[in-house]
Amino acid sequence: MKEVELDCLGEACPIPLVKAENKLKEMEIGDVLIVQIDHSCAMKNVPEWARKEGHNVEIEEIDDGEWEIIIEKVK
Amino acid sequence: MDIKKNKYYKLWIKDAWPYITGAVLLSLFQIVTLATTGNPWGVSGILANWGAWLYETAGGSVDKWYYFSSEGARRTLENGFMNHGGSLRNLGIIIGALAATLLSSGFKFKKIKSWKQIIAATLGGLLMGYGARIGFGCNIGALFSGIASLSLSGWVYALFLFLGAIIGSKLLVKYFM
Repeated sequence: MKEVELDCLGEACPIPLVKAENKLKEMEIGDVLIVQIDHSCAMKNVPEWARKEGHNVEIEEIDDGEWEIIIEKVK
Repeated sequence: MDIKKNKYYKLWIKDAWPYITGAVLLSLFQIVTLATTGNPWGVSGILANWGAWLYETAGGSVDKWYYFSSEGARRTLENGFMNHGGSLRNLGIIIGALAATLLSSGFKFKKIKSWKQIIAATLGGLLMGYGARIGFGCNIGALFSGIASLSLSGWVYALFLFLGAIIGSKLLVKYFM
């Protein structure tokens, strides 16, 4: 089980989403992807996409205007 | 009681509103705008006035510019910022957006990651501003208000907006991924 961090700070939509999609594709089932974002609309579309794909998703507020989206690849 | 744990703080202030809530409110307020001012809601045309005022403050003159040659446009410029309803509305949008981010503790100065971002943002801004003026409106004045007042031009605008968005996404993936 691997944990991968994806730095998307300073990136506007839809770049965090596309980067997360590409990264998750390379990963194995059970791995965890942590997407770091500071663009609030990525807080909507990244979890939305990951949940629709059936992965486990958690959002953590790191600082003012900064979040981590934690995605566990389940399939 | 800790406000951060309050249910309504979370629901109304902290979390983003659903798109449908935003859509309904935008529709209601654009109706109010049209009914009370007699003009449909617009944003970017007002920014052209801001540009003219800035230019005049810096010592320039737009007297001979065709864009500002109509009587109405000239009067608006002469009356100044505080007497221009649209300018105050735009200012309200900026202050409102700032208040919303501050209230949800979402304010952050973002790092600029690369020169590419600066170049793309500048080019994008110039193209959007130029396009909005020669198209007589942006996605608010021409698209939203256009469709809301049953004008065909709004739908034509929508079609090309989508085409532009497709090209834009391809460029984005090509240069920023």
